[in-house]
Amino acid sequence: MKVAHVLAVESRSKIGSRYAKRERAAGRLPAVMYGHGQPPSHVTVSAHEAIRYIEGGERVFTVQQKGQKDETVILKDLQFDYLGTNIVHLDLARVSLDEKIESKVPVKLVGESIGLKKAGAILLHPTPLVTLRCTVLALPDHVDVDISQLDVDHAVSAAEIKLPAGVELASDPHDIVAAIQITKEEVATAEATAVDGAPAQPEVITAKKPAEGEAAAGDKKGAAPAKDAKGGGDKKK
Amino acid sequence: MAMMPARVKYRKMQRGCRAGDATRCNAVAFGEYGLQALERCWMDTKQIEAARVAIARHMKRRGKMWIRIFPDKSFTKKPLEVRMGTGKGGVESWVAVIKPATILFEVDGIPEALAREAMRLAANKLPIRTRFVSRHHLA
Repeated sequence: MKVAHVLAVESRSKIGSRYAKRERAAGRLPAVMYGHGQPPSHVTVSAHEAIRYIEGGERVFTVQQKGQKDETVILKDLQFDYLGTNIVHLDLARVSLDEKIESKVPVKLVGESIGLKKAGAILLHPTPLVTLRCTVLALPDHVDVDISQLDVDHAVSAAEIKLPAGVELASDPHDIVAAIQITKEEVATAEATAVDGAPAQPEVITAKKPAEGEAAAGDKKGAAPAKDAKGGGDKKK
Repeated sequence: MAMMPARVKYRKMQRGCRAGDATRCNAVAFGEYGLQALERCWMDTKQIEAARVAIARHMKRRGKMWIRIFPDKSFTKKPLEVRMGTGKGGVESWVAVIKPATILFEVDGIPEALAREAMRLAANKLPIRTRFVSRHHLA
């Protein structure tokens, strides 16, 4: 990865949601820069420019700020609006070029799997991002995973990803990156159960269940008045 | 089979508050495409089931579907022409509390056009506005 893209940032003195909202309305994106023992600095970047780079897969930027020397930063975190659509805030962590950092990198599945040719087979991609540990310059844009030999009921774990030299896996090696499953039967059973009769009510844990002795007593009690009533009725007659 | 809890501590519940936006279950997590709520509601078992059937039928046993919501809240109703008082009504149905941004359904293993149409059909069965979303691969 080249440290090529330059982000021009401006310092913001007023922080808080009210001022951040005004910055967004003006086409700026609030961000915070931190790390390397320096105090965090609140800045804004051009929203259009930053979003274009981020959506293009860029993670490392050179930050230019008036009156200060250029810094290399890595995109550490993103905040989205409540619907998860628009980026509303950036976290930028200061890094040096020779230091090892951890960053999330997208996984790209390459090749046509042999398992997918079978009827009802689908490819699952539960882990679209893996965390890698490496220097900024060695950080790849994405990692390729060859799934051409992947068959049904087999999976590729994060540990099986072939990483470039100098790059280590930092996320859980047991994470499933790609798997092929047959889903035909599952859907069939779901359809079958849907046709079944009226639903029962759930079991209530705190419902009072009559003990055996009480139940028997209750039966006797219930039976006795009935006899009395009958007897009473007879007497009246 | 209608969705409802297998065991509950109490049959009847208080209505609770459904203000605010979803802070969890608000991103596509399992599949590639999803249906996201834009409004709030109590979604009952019939509505969830109708949407599920609409998706399943359109997918024609291809791909995989996840239902991200579960009706774990009971709601009660008094019978018609009954005076107020004399206790809470009987359990009418089970509902899921839906807040804006909740992901309702997810699908994977099918092309986007098919997923989009399946979600449109499902959305027609639901009482709120929804939108089709796909998983994004940003950090």
